Order: sequence, then C-alpha cells, then structure tokens
Amino acid sequence: MGGWFYVKICCFIVFLVIVPGLCAGEWKQADGERRWSFPADHGSHGEYRTEWWYFTGNLGDASGKKYGYQLTFFRHSLRERPRDPNNPWSVRDVYLAHYAITDASNNTFHYTDRASRKGPGLAGADAHKMNVNVLGWSAAMDKNTIRLKAYFEGMELKLDLTPQKPPVLHGRHGLSKKGPLPGQASYYYSFTDLKTTGYLKRPGMKNQVAVTGTSWFDQEFGSNQLSGDQAGWDWFALHLSDGRDLMIYKLRKKDGSIEKESAGTLVEPDGTSRQINLSGIEMTVLAYWKSQKTGGRYPAGWRIRIPSAGVDVTVKPLVANQELANTVSAGITYWEGAVDGAGTSNGKSIKAQGYVELTGYAGTIGGTF
Amino acid sequence: MTSSIRTYDLWKEYETGGHDGTALRGIELEIAKGQIIALLGKSGSGKTTLLNLLAGLDEPTRGRVEIDGMDLKGLGEKGRTELRRHKLGFVFQFFNLLPTLTSLENVALALELAGRPDEKLAGESIALVGLAGKEDRYPHELSGGEQQRIAIARALVKNPPIILADEPTGNLDSHTGTQILELLTGRCRELGTTLVMVSHSLKTCEYADRVLRMSDGRIFEEESCEGLAP
Amino acid sequence: MKRVIRSFLRYLARRKSLAILQLLGIAFGVAAAVGMTLASRSALDSMENAVDFLRGGSTHTIKRPAGPMEEGLLQKIVDDPSIKFFAPVIDRKVRLASGGEVRLLGLDPFLDKNVRSITTQIASAANSAGREKILQSFLLDPRTVIIDENVARAGNIAAGQDLMTMQGPLKVVQVFSNPSGEPLVIMDIGNAQEFFRMAGHIDRADLVVNDEEGLRQRWSRGFIIESNQQKAQTLSALLGAFKLNLQALSLLALFVGIFLIYNTAMFTVVSRRRDAGILLSIGASRGQVTLAFLVEVLLFGITGGALGGIMGYFLSKFLVQIVGGTISTLYFFLRPSALPWTFWNIAGGILLGSAASIVGSLPPLLELRRIQPVQVLRGRTASRRAGRRTKIVGLAGLFCLALALVLFLLSFLNVYIGFAGAFAFLLGASLFSGFVIIIAVPFLKRLFSSVIGLTGKIAIGNIRENLGRTSVAVAAFMIALSMSIGLASMIDSFRHSLIWWMNGQLRGEAYISTKADVTVPEEVYDELKKIPGIGGIDVFRNVQITFRDRPAGITSIDSAVLQKYARFGWLSGSDRAWEDVKRGDVIISESFSLRFKVKAGDRITIDTAQGPSTLRIAGVYYDYASEHGVIMMDRSLYLKLFNDRTINSLGIFIDGPELEKGRILDKARQLSLKYGLPFATREQFHRRILGIFDSTFAVTQSMRIIAVIVAFFGIAGALMTLFVERQKEFGIYRALGFTTGDVAKITIAESIGLGLISFFMSTVVGTIFAFILIRVINRQSFNWTIFYHLTPQPYLVTFLTAIAASIAACAYPVWSVIRKYPIMQIREE
Repeated sequence: MGGWFYVKICCFIVFLVIVPGLCAGEWKQADGERRWSFPADHGSHGEYRTEWWYFTGNLGDASGKKYGYQLTFFRHSLRERPRDPNNPWSVRDVYLAHYAITDASNNTFHYTDRASRKGPGLAGADAHKMNVNVLGWSAAMDKNTIRLKAYFEGMELKLDLTPQKPPVLHGRHGLSKKGPLPGQASYYYSFTDLKTTGYLKRPGMKNQVAVTGTSWFDQEFGSNQLSGDQAGWDWFALHLSDGRDLMIYKLRKKDGSIEKESAGTLVEPDGTSRQINLSGIEMTVLAYWKSQKTGGRYPAGWRIRIPSAGVDVTVKPLVANQELANTVSAGITYWEGAVDGAGTSNGKSIKAQGYVELTGYAGTIGGTF
Repeated sequence: MTSSIRTYDLWKEYETGGHDGTALRGIELEIAKGQIIALLGKSGSGKTTLLNLLAGLDEPTRGRVEIDGMDLKGLGEKGRTELRRHKLGFVFQFFNLLPTLTSLENVALALELAGRPDEKLAGESIALVGLAGKEDRYPHELSGGEQQRIAIARALVKNPPIILADEPTGNLDSHTGTQILELLTGRCRELGTTLVMVSHSLKTCEYADRVLRMSDGRIFEEESCEGLAP
Repeated sequence: MKRVIRSFLRYLARRKSLAILQLLGIAFGVAAAVGMTLASRSALDSMENAVDFLRGGSTHTIKRPAGPMEEGLLQKIVDDPSIKFFAPVIDRKVRLASGGEVRLLGLDPFLDKNVRSITTQIASAANSAGREKILQSFLLDPRTVIIDENVARAGNIAAGQDLMTMQGPLKVVQVFSNPSGEPLVIMDIGNAQEFFRMAGHIDRADLVVNDEEGLRQRWSRGFIIESNQQKAQTLSALLGAFKLNLQALSLLALFVGIFLIYNTAMFTVVSRRRDAGILLSIGASRGQVTLAFLVEVLLFGITGGALGGIMGYFLSKFLVQIVGGTISTLYFFLRPSALPWTFWNIAGGILLGSAASIVGSLPPLLELRRIQPVQVLRGRTASRRAGRRTKIVGLAGLFCLALALVLFLLSFLNVYIGFAGAFAFLLGASLFSGFVIIIAVPFLKRLFSSVIGLTGKIAIGNIRENLGRTSVAVAAFMIALSMSIGLASMIDSFRHSLIWWMNGQLRGEAYISTKADVTVPEEVYDELKKIPGIGGIDVFRNVQITFRDRPAGITSIDSAVLQKYARFGWLSGSDRAWEDVKRGDVIISESFSLRFKVKAGDRITIDTAQGPSTLRIAGVYYDYASEHGVIMMDRSLYLKLFNDRTINSLGIFIDGPELEKGRILDKARQLSLKYGLPFATREQFHRRILGIFDSTFAVTQSMRIIAVIVAFFGIAGALMTLFVERQKEFGIYRALGFTTGDVAKITIAESIGLGLISFFMSTVVGTIFAFILIRVINRQSFNWTIFYHLTPQPYLVTFLTAIAASIAACAYPVWSVIRKYPIMQIREE
C-alpha cells in the first residue's frame, strides 16, 4: 500500500515534484474496473505513471530468531516516451528501491535505498511478467515462484516466495479508492500469503542464515495523486495464524480526521476476500514511540477489531526503531516495520504477525509538497 | 717577583717574501715594577712588534715573555685574554676608541670586560684625565688630545699593574703631546704602574725612568736621551 | 658584554642607509625563496583540493586502457560484489565560442549522488516550482547544463541564458557553487553522449570499492583500475618535472639569497675588523667578539628574514598566478589560490634568514677568529695577504668545481644530485672572483685610464686594493647575473629546439583541432578525404596511459602520411622505421626511451583493451610534446588494440601548387567551421605552440627578474659598504686636489668596473650554467635533449643589467660624496 507515499519520495529522489495535473492527460487513469490477467499483470504497466512492487515478510531461522524484511521497487515515469528511444540513458522512468532488514533477536534495523534510470541495463521492469530490477536488487517471478535478491554492504537477502493463495484484488475488483474524486484511486492487488524460504544476512553477521516465513506482496499502479489535505497514513498487513490475512489502510487528513475512503481487506484461508469499510474497523493505539533521530512520535502498538469478521488482535513492533529516516534521497522519513502479537479470530486464540507502515509522523510531510 | 715584564731571547719573524722579514732578533729584557720605560727607535725597528708580544696580542716565533712572572705562552689564549683584562692597559697612537660608544661607555667597557662594571668609577676616571662633562660625547666629537685622554682613562680605570702605550703622542701636536705625557706618566707614578711607552719622539725620554732604544730588531740600553738621534 | 654588542649594533643606527640596504638584501633573498616555495605549495595544494572535490567519496576508477569504455560494462559493474557504489562519467572538454575551453562532465545524478556532491546541488536552491522545472529540464532536455560560478562569472551567464560553445549553445538551467575553482559544466550523461557523439560509451566509472583485490582480479584484462592513491601518484608524477622545476627555482632563489647574506655578513666583519682588534687588545675574548658579531648578523637575519617572509607572501600571490597558468596550459586546469596568511610565513622567513645568515657568516666568522689585532690596528691589512687568501679560496673553488663534475657524472642516479652539482658549480665559480679581479684589473686599468684618465686608474686600483671585499661583491653579483644568463640561454635553446622539432614533425599545411582533449567526429575525416587535391591526412589521436605505474602517452598517427611528409629527428633508427610502423611496430619518443630505459629493438608490453600486448620498438625520435614519453603507433594498430575510434586532430598535407593549396585549405576550413572545430594553418599552429612554451617559462622568467633584483641589492650594499669605509680616502683625494666631480667619477668608475668584471665572469659561468641546465637538469627532469643555441640577447640584457645596477648602486655614495666632500677630513674617528 505504501506506494502512494513513495511516489512522493520518488519525486524527491529524482528531485522532481510532480504537480497534480502536469501531463496528467497523457497517462491512463485508474478510474474503472480492470480486466486482470495474471501473470502478465505482475509485470510493469508503463501506461500508468507510477507503479510499485512491494515485498515485506516475517521470517525466522532454525534457532527461533525472528527477522523482518522489506524490499520494495518503484517505477515513476517522467515522460510518456523517451526523447531518444535509441539512447538507454534517455529518461522515461525512474526506478527506486528501498531495502530494510529487522533482527528482533538483537533489536537492530538496517535500511538503505537506491535509484536509477533504465540506462544500459541498470534498472527496469518487464512488461508482461514480474521481472523488476534496480541496480542489481531484483524481484523476478519464475513459474510460481518469486525470487528476491538484494545485496548491499553486509545486508544480504536471497528469498524464494511461493503464493499460497491466488492474488487478492482490493477495493472494487482491484480499483482501490484513495480519495473522494474520480481519479484518486489505483489498481491494487496482493499476494497476502507467500511461503518464504531463503537466506538472509544483516551487517554484523558472519554468515548468511537460512530463514523461512511468510511474506506479503502488494502491486499497485496508477497515475494520480493524493489530495492535498492528506497528512499521511497507517497501513497494516497481518497474517493471522488461523490462515486469515488482514490488510487495513487509514488515510489521515490534516484536520485530524480519517479519509472516508480508507478501508481494508480480509482474506480467508481459502483465498476468498472481502472489503471492509472504515466504519467496520475499530482501532486503538496502545503505545507510542518517539524517534531520537527525527523527533517523530509514532504509534507503537494497536488493538484492532473487525467485529464483522470476529477479529480482535493486538500487535506491537518487533523492534521499536524501524524508522527509515532521511533516506539518502531527500530526507523523507517514515516507519515501516515488522510487528507481531496475538488475539482472537472467530473466537479462537491466534497469533498475528505482519508489517505496519506509518507515514506523516515525522516532520511536515504534507507541507513539503 | 721583582720584575714586572721579562723576555727571554725573543724572536719574531714575519712570513713575508721580499725584504728581511725579521722584526725581533733575540730580545732580552727585564722591567721592574713601577718603572716607566721609553722605548725609542725608528719606524720599522720592531718597537710595536715587541709591544704587541708583551701584550700577548701576537705570538713570538721563538723565545718567551713573562708578565708578573707568568709565561704568556703557558697562559693560553684564555689566560692571555684574562691578562689583558686585568693586568694590562693599552694606549694607542690612533687612540682606537670604539667609534660607536660614548666616552663613558668606552671607559666602562674596559671595567665591564674586567668583570667589574662600574659606571661611577668610569666617570671618575674620565674626570681624572680632565674631561669631566664630556662623558656622553662620541669619539668623533672629541679632539685628538681628548680622545687620547679617554684612551688613557680607559687604560687606567681598571688599575692594571702594567700599561703599554704605542706612540701615545704620535698623532698629537707637541703641546697636546706634552700634556698627555704628563698625564700618563703622572698617573702611573701615583699608582705605581709599570709603563712602557713606545715612541720615536725624544720628548718621551724626559718622562721616563729608563730609556731603551731599538734598532733592527735588537734592543739597547741608553743612559739618557742625550745623543739619541730622533 | 652588553657594551661589546652595543658597540657593534650602534653601527646600524649610524649607517642607516647601509643597514637598510643590507636588510633589504637579506629580505629579498628570503622573499624569493619563501615566495617560490609558497607559490609551488599552494599550486600543489589547490591541485589536491580540485581533485578531492571532483573525486568525492570515490575510491577507485575503472576505465579502458585508452579511449572510452562501453556503457554495457556498467551492468557487470552493478553485479560486482566488491563495488559498493559506482558512477559513470563522461569527462571531456568543450570549446567555448568566446575562446578557451572548459571541462564538461557528463554525469548521472541518480548514481552520482552516492559518489560525490556535485549533482546533489542540482536544484538545491530553487523553490519547489523552479526546482521541478530545472530538474525536468536537466534530465529530459538535450543540451541542458548546469554551470559552476566560475563559468558563469567568466561568461557573464545567468541561469536561463545560453552558454555558447563551438558546438552550438547549451541551455544553462542553474549555476552551482564549486569550491575547487575549476570551471565546470555538467550535463546529464545521456545528453553528454549525444553532445559528444559517443553513443554507447562513457569515459570511465568512478567507484566506491570495499574489496580492491577481488575487483582487480575480476577486471584484470583490458581494464585499468586506479585507486585514488594511484591517481594521486600519477597526477603527482604528471607534475613531477614541473614540481622539480619549481623546487629548483626556489633553491636557486635561496642560493642567491644565502650568497647575498654571506656578502652582507662578510662586509659586516670587514667593517668590524678594527673594532674587533681594539676589543681584543683591551681584553675582550674572541668568544665575546664573535658573539657580538653573531648578534649583529642574527639581528639582520631575523629582521630581514621576517621582512622577507612578509614580502615572500605577497610575491607568492603573484607567482601562484603564473604557476597556475602554466599548469593549466600544460597539464590540467588549475587556478590555485594563494595560501592564506599565517605567522608561519614570518617564522619561516626568520628561520631562513637567520640560518642563511649563520651559514653566510661562517667564513667571515672564521676569519674574525683568526684576526691578529696587531695587524688590524696598525692598518697592515696587506693586500699581500688578500692575494694569498685569493689563492686558498681559488683552491677551494677548484675543489668545488671538481665536486660539481663528480656530481654531474653521478647525476643519472637522481636529478637532485644534478641540482647539487649545479650549486657546487656556482659556488666553485664564485670562489674564483678574486682571481678574476686580479687578472682583469690590468686590462680594466688600461681601459678606464684611456677613457677617463687618472681617476679611472685610481678607481680600478681601488678594486684591486680592496680585493677582500670586492671579490665577495663580484662573486655575489656574478652569480645572480650568471643565473640570469643561464636561465635565459636555456630557455632560448629550448625554444630553438622546439622550432626545429615543429618544423620536422608538424609539417601539415593546416590542422583541424589541435588539442588532445578535444575530439573530432569521424565524419569530418570522411568528408575531408573527399576534398580533391589533398595529398594526405594524418589522423592524430593521443591518450594518456599508465605504463609501469607511471604516466605516459600513446599517439596514433597515419604512418604512411607521416612517412611521406614529416621529417622526424631520429635519435636511433631512421625514416626506414616508418615501414616497421606500418607493419605494426611502434616508435617511441626520447623521453619515453630515457624514462623507461628502453631503446630501439626492445619490446615493450602495454595494457590494451585486448589485454597485455607486446610491441617492438622500431626507432626513437626527438620529441618535446610530452616529458612523460610517447609511444607512437599506426592508427590501424591502435584501433585493433584499443577499439577507440576517437580522433583528436587532423593534419592536412597538400602536394599541389600554392594557388591550389589556398583553394583546398579554404574548403577544409569551411568543413571544420561546419563542425565547430578549430582550424589552424601551420604558421598559426606553430605560433600557438610557441605561445604555450613562453607561458610555461613565465615562472622561470620571473625568477630571473627576482635574481637580478636580489643581485642589485647585493651589489648596491657591497659598494655602499666599500665607500662608507673609505670616507677617509675621500679626504685624501681632496687633499691631493681632486674635485668633487673627480671623486664621483672614481666612485662610478669603480662601480662600473665591478659590474664589468662581474658581467665578464658571468658570461663564462652563465654559459656553462646554461649547459648544465640543458644537459644535466633538463635531461634528468624532462628526459629530452635540448640543443644549445647561442643567442646574444641574454648576454646583452645581462650586460645592461650589470651596468644599470652598478650605476644605480653607486648613486647614493656619489650623492653622499657630493654632499659631504667639503667637510671630509683626513682623520680617524
């Protein structure tokens, strides 16, 4: 889900600020129901201005240590077609990637990011299958397995992800509303339950460790912007131990209210899903964490109740500090981290784990734009 | 310890080509304490050479010099410097005051070198040679006679047992010369200082206890000045 | 003791003008050395700063051995585990329409921000709306650039205006700040490829590496990986000869300075001999006298040194501009800023001044210690003894000359030995000044007495009479004049060798583009070939390579064309070598041969895009193009080894009659105009090279001027002392019935006599010094042979300098004679 925000980060990294409406007419809008076709739709949708492939996951090793990772790829188009199609440096899209590893066992969190134009094979995304690459970090789908790869300075990640459920289309058949106006939407689907195996290494580790766990994959694309009155959002992607998966996004407005289009999706163990409107979500913040680095004050523990689905879970961060502060790009700061907890689902005790993304808590993000 | 100055077979040869380079030829000399000596001779007879050897300013080719019973050679450079500081006073023909120092400073310098800096004494010394009030003049602001008076003050101020004077009147008119001779010999007699005056002027004889004549590097005792060719 | 010292120091107050002259002498000597040292240091510091700024955080650079690198290789770089960050770079020069050229970097802002800070400045200052436009434009619009404040200032260009280049206008969207001082234009890498017509290529990639060994293993064949340290070494090696030259000039300045100080100290002793005698006779020890003297000398050294330190600082501000200009012309852009003022300048000046004073006053001090008060006081400073001294000093001179010879024979070991030899020679030669005066005096006597009669005779007699003093003055003056002659003769000889070389090697009727860092599109070559009547076109490409860890150059040419038209000067081999070159051998420049100790017939192995390649040397030719050495090969071999089609310059050769030539050249000129390329006829090209040559030696020239200034104060001080010492003599002259005019005449004649002797001596010493510079120093530091060429100009200039300085130096004494003469008396103080 975090993608909307990343469009803005992306703009920052490229040092570009995309003013709403600029060239908007030339891009396809996410404004109607889409005829989905997988696996081709895992590929890039160049006719839309922005797009992201978003992987998060909760992993564990043989000794029971808990890890989390985030590997996300973004594409943002600066123009519809490159000025000189023969020159790979001629810019059409800018690709970005964010990469983070959390180690709950020693309470550490490492992150880094990078950006590139397509260039001579430096970055890119295939059109009809998932094969996205930013300077060597990549996500590629081969048959039914997504292979993730990212190396940087002691941060190593090499994972195989296998979907346990079919793609889940959020919103109205994949059209996810972000605001009241027609174009304020994106196409959004997820693999909510990816069985994950592979290797991981964080700085300070001697060797890679074999890990297994569950990942979550979002892909989202569209051409429009958040409306100017939004201040940030909270996004939750939780795996419940009874096999249900829950996604919630809450768009916070500058006046303190919550955007009415905010919503969630509940996925059943058999892969069927249904949308949950804002009114059906009850959420209480149980704790806060203040960043020493940025001064941002983030929620750090939630009780989430979906009465209509019989869900009542309490989750808190695996590591308090999972803040991506002042990414090299341009000082954009957000919190994106692994969480776990417990609760009940349909009356039964369950455990929960997943990822939470919190934006707009540090600095004046809304105002920057 | 009766003799103030004594030389034994003193020879001095200059390393020169051309004419005979020998300036002294076996000088045997003994001068008693408090004696005032006139050393006469034509120019080039070796007077000044002898004087410089006595002062330890130059070294003999052969022979030796004893001052107050001390062998100059045995003293070494350091000892000879000490000797000049304490036991010898010098008066030159050309006065040889340091042109950059005032009268007082020139006199005081001798005391300073002797290790007894005393400006008051220096001032008194200048007064004794009759130049009170001219302490702060530089040498070029003084007449020749006045300069020589300062030189005498400089020589006497440290009260040395011996004063060596090289043509002290040579550069002065006869009237002034007489005054200087009176001053110099008078002061030496008062203090019991041994004085050796090198001169080619017969007038010097009148003030001397003993007259020596040098000729061709040799020394001859003279009874009086009578009959000496100037 | 205080009084002893005071007695010495009061002289300073009493002879103020003399003291000032002596002080200035020391100050100038120190200033020359300090100024030169500061200038060369600030130039080198600025170089490091400029390099640091552009290097940013990168640790290594990867590139092809010659020419650009295929951009596809970046994908391999992405995957290399030892590379943390990388940034592709296009690093070229673009010629401005206003003349001159500027460095243009093609960078990728996305990748570059990991390596250096320049690109993060893009749009950093603008407001958000402006920022959007600037960045959109920079990335997306062709020919869009950001320029640094230097370029902006030089061209008076603001953001939104165009930077006019020979290849058309560039749209400036932003002006950024650049602490390095090097004018920079930055373009997006994609646009730069287009602009330079190098699609698919970059010049290099700057890397941040964490495992150098692994990297080198993986990229061993066909690539050059340079660490920053290596780059710095290469750069410093590139500047090596130049640096050496600067150091040598500083040392020479110091040498002249020490000599001057020696001169001053010597005179101080001489003028204190009598006082020393008095002091000794009234009981001062030699130690005290020595100390008093040392205090005086040190006072001069410290005051003059401090003054010199300050003057040197200001001098360095001037010199640093010249040094920067030379480095920019010859190597790479550098606008060094003078080092900031610190009190260390004064401290250094004092140190230098007092050290030189002590060194310079050693010989006179030794003399002082030997002083026989008897002789001094009786005025028996017999010239006889001075004569004997002259012999001893002459012997010492002979020893120095012998030492110099030995050092020259050993100079192949290290260029500093050559320098030591040069100094030994100058020192040795200076010790003969007394001898020369003795020999020259009879001739001068005849000359002067026939011109101005008796007064002339007396004047010259005085020179001989005061040998102890005049010989030192002549020595100091002569050394400065010799340096002037030597440096000038060396430069003139070099210039003539260069002209000879140009006439042999650069025989084309005209040249399209003449700089190695500007590229000529291949289309120009193709179109040029179509012009009828052209007899041959030499396709010239020059690249800098690293050979055996040192910088060197490869030049590719069309050997068939050069065989037909050029007349190379062969050191070994002959024009027959061209046949071998056509078959794939290479020829090397003299500097390459000497630097790497290879000769005709040897084989050398160089890194190429195909890996190491071994080539046979067919001949060695005279060359002044690069002191680092050049391997020259046929273009066909170059293309095979390096896959680099770049052309830097085209030489046009025409066989036809004159009339035809003009017509063909017009066509070629139009063609080059069409592509925005500079076009130069042979004469223009040669003139430009000579212009560069002249600017290169600007530092040396200014050093020459400084030497002469220093010499002037030296001689003036010496003469002043002589005349002040001799006021009594003036009284005697008066007694003898000389008029004031006569005495002035004597003074002037004496001064000119000294000047003449110094000049005559310097013609010999200076010429030999020129030979030493050419045969030893230049050959050792630049590795090329310069042919000595006799030109009268340096001698004439030096002659006039000597006369002018002599006359100027006696101006004050003459004036004081005229003023004081009537009251001078024959009296000792």
